[in-house]
Amino acid sequence: MIRKTDLSIVWTTLALSLLGIMMIYSTAGSAVMIKQITWLIFSILCAVLFSRISPRIWLNLSPIIYILAVVLIFVILIKSDVYPRRWIRFGDFSMQPSEFAKFATVLMLANYLSTRKKLQNFSDMLVPIAITGLPALLVFLEPDLGAAQIFLPILLVMSYWAGMPGLKILILFSPIVSAIASFSIYAWVVYMAILMIFLFMRKQLTDLIYGFASNSLVGLIMPLVWNSLKAYQQRRIIAFFSPWLDPQGMSWQIIQSKIAIGSGGLIGKGFLSGTQKKLEFLPERHTDFIFSCLGEEFGLIGIVIVVALYVFLIYRLLSLAKETRNRFASIFVCGVMIWIAYQTFINIGVTMGLLPVTGVPLPFISSGGSALLACFMGIGVCLSISKTKMAY
Amino acid sequence: MDEKAIAFKVVRNLIFLLATIVVLWSIRLQVIEGKKYSRLSEENRIRRNFDPAPRGRILDRHGREIANTRPGFYVSVVRAVIDENTLSALSNILGMKKEEIIEKSQIEKNSFSPVKIAHDISYAQLSAIEEQSDAFSGVEVGVEPLRNYPYGDLFFHVVGYVGEITCEEIEKDRTYILGDYIGKMGLERYYENILRGTNGVEYVEVDARGKEVSKITEKRSIPPTPGVDLITTMDLALAESVAMYLEPYEKAACVCLNPQSGEILVLYSKPSFDPNLFTHGLRKNEWDALNNDPNAPMYNRAIMSCYPPGSTFKPFIALAALDSKTTNNEKRFETCTGMYRLGRRPFRCWKKHGSLNLTGAIINSCDIYFYQLGRLIGIDTISDRASRIGFGKRTGIDLLNEKQGILPDRQWFEKRYGKNWTQGHIFNLSIGQGDLLVSPLQLACGFALFANAGRIPIPHIIAKSDTTFFTTEISLEAIEIVNNALAGVVRQGTGTLARVSGFEVCGKTGTSQNPHGDDHSLFVGFAPAENPTILVCVIVENAGHGGSIAAPITGKIINLYLNDLQPMRAENQWTQAVHD
Repeated sequence: MIRKTDLSIVWTTLALSLLGIMMIYSTAGSAVMIKQITWLIFSILCAVLFSRISPRIWLNLSPIIYILAVVLIFVILIKSDVYPRRWIRFGDFSMQPSEFAKFATVLMLANYLSTRKKLQNFSDMLVPIAITGLPALLVFLEPDLGAAQIFLPILLVMSYWAGMPGLKILILFSPIVSAIASFSIYAWVVYMAILMIFLFMRKQLTDLIYGFASNSLVGLIMPLVWNSLKAYQQRRIIAFFSPWLDPQGMSWQIIQSKIAIGSGGLIGKGFLSGTQKKLEFLPERHTDFIFSCLGEEFGLIGIVIVVALYVFLIYRLLSLAKETRNRFASIFVCGVMIWIAYQTFINIGVTMGLLPVTGVPLPFISSGGSALLACFMGIGVCLSISKTKMAY
Repeated sequence: MDEKAIAFKVVRNLIFLLATIVVLWSIRLQVIEGKKYSRLSEENRIRRNFDPAPRGRILDRHGREIANTRPGFYVSVVRAVIDENTLSALSNILGMKKEEIIEKSQIEKNSFSPVKIAHDISYAQLSAIEEQSDAFSGVEVGVEPLRNYPYGDLFFHVVGYVGEITCEEIEKDRTYILGDYIGKMGLERYYENILRGTNGVEYVEVDARGKEVSKITEKRSIPPTPGVDLITTMDLALAESVAMYLEPYEKAACVCLNPQSGEILVLYSKPSFDPNLFTHGLRKNEWDALNNDPNAPMYNRAIMSCYPPGSTFKPFIALAALDSKTTNNEKRFETCTGMYRLGRRPFRCWKKHGSLNLTGAIINSCDIYFYQLGRLIGIDTISDRASRIGFGKRTGIDLLNEKQGILPDRQWFEKRYGKNWTQGHIFNLSIGQGDLLVSPLQLACGFALFANAGRIPIPHIIAKSDTTFFTTEISLEAIEIVNNALAGVVRQGTGTLARVSGFEVCGKTGTSQNPHGDDHSLFVGFAPAENPTILVCVIVENAGHGGSIAAPITGKIINLYLNDLQPMRAENQWTQAVHD
């Protein structure tokens, strides 16, 4: 049966994008705003086009799109001499392949997971890990830690949605916790003890062996990996844990961002009147820290409205994923949902000083054409799915 | 419930949980801690700029500027926003080490407040900074009033100098701020509160790089209130001449005052130092060199160096004897043969004087007469009268760090030498040697007693109409007798080189014994004898006899003052200024 497009998704997406245009005007002026409007119009057209393509065609196209996206990143890794190697330029416009790789990966992962009727063992996760791991690794090598990290929650949540048991996934990815805990030998020992008790109680030999081996190994090699990180990446992580130590360095951003949001108060300083923004205390005003400016100019009320819009959009996508009968479509919508949800949470968490500084744009709002276009592509396919969700 | 429904609930609850965390956290930032962040935001944005008040001028008695202000350019940095490139470029331009700039900027705790790191930069340095000002971040230049001393080292010890305030000084007085100049010595310090004025305040909006964006109009700015001019009693022309007369000597001090009013005309000490050099701020090695100089240029010899007064003390012994009526002018002792024995210990005179009365002994400065006179009147009479005249006490001049010297009395000798102190100590005291130490200013004030018929004014440098006197209750007849002898000293005695044409000068020579080297040459004189308007005390270190060096200098000073300067000024009456 043919249904109408889910209009609540359309309106919420457009509302967020227009808010973004407004905030970009406030933070970067009309020139950047006009560029963003151009991108937005292009993105909307793209989404309209995508929404008219049947989910079945997306399913069939996904391997090609995926290979194209991976090759694109591979090409800039080889060709680009501007460091970090994140951009492909076409005259005035430039594009970030990593953003399209998110879309392509969600598509490809949904394709693969939908072909598996039952996901049960660790071995079932090998191909999904490979599908997400390849673009993640390439993006990491650009280097773009902020963009690379998003592939992990996409993998986790999409696998879970596809039927992989949650506890299995947790055990599978428990070495990540081990890596974080390994910065303190005491924390690591306590973590390992709890993990081992838990694994013994589960009485599953493979889980026990895998859990013990992987966690021990990661815990031991993590210090080596840490030393291989770029200095600025190390600084970002350190700055998060002690932001007032070095007010000139990375934590300057966190401090100024918190001051901007905090000084907004309940109702904000008013549109275009943010002093933290205007006097350039706020870093990355129209990109990664645009939310701080929103908090400064519109206060708590503005933040609650924006968070509500995001929660509504994400909830609508989640409901769509639940209602869609088709396995591929359902898993894909869930992927788009977690992609937008995770980026939103990370971006807002960073601006509020809840999370370490990682350069993640705020979906639909941050200035930047590629991110906007990629999100609209995802939404476009979701809209196509919403029209036909009961069809098969 | 199927798997999908469970997964839906899990993911949905997770999303709601994260959204709740975000909202709660923003309530914390914006509502609970909102005031704190508002304040931080205002501190980021609004800066109080202080507009330094020009210091009051210091004028001589005829209104000539001996300290004024001139504009100078300063450089300040904002530590939080200065970057490495700016720091290197600035270090090159100013010839300062980077570490030095950072160290100076760290005085201010708030890293967003600009801190002055260099004062009085040259036009070349200024234009070098201005040229690169677009590339610089966190650097500002501005104009500030700077202290200027047009006569260089001439008034260093009296006027003192100003320097940038230290953190300890701000601790003591919170009305100062970093970058203020404060009087460190002399009048600059003593009259700091009159001279300093009040800084103006201006509120400006600054951007993240510390650059001023606009003036803030909602907070009213306050213009600076300049300091009040200080009119002194000093005489520029006389001081210049004193310095010229003392030019050939390395270490010397001179006090000229009006004995009737206590007005200080000249207070000169050498070696001296150019206080303009402090305006830049001395480097540590320059400071050390200054402080460790064996000639102690920082030391105001006129009030801080204490010397044995030598024979200039004899008039006070004579006065004590006459006032206590122990003896009279005609009293004669054993004839001076150039040597006098106390037991087996010989005490010498510088010449064989023969038999002298008191006046003659003063005129010819006979040591042997005064040994015997001192022994006759005794330690208690000497210390009592000398103490009444002000020896061993501060004169109360309006300068800090005045030394009180030493006037030994019975207790002092007992404490110093035990019960065994002898007549020999009194002998030495009687001719102004040994343990007695007086500052040139004390000595000048002591002589004011003779010049002013027993009334000693408290000396002052600030101009004021009312002078405080203290009376010594010493009989006028005694003073009259000694006065006549002092006139004789210059007329026919040891001080003839101090004679001045047209005026009778009274005075006394002295040679201050110096255990570390050549004796110091001393002379104290005043004129005109009948109505003294100037009293001069000169000490030239390591120069020998008082009569040969200090006396002619005193004569020249008095001559210049009475014969050249005063007639010229009869027309130019100076107006009295009233200060607290």
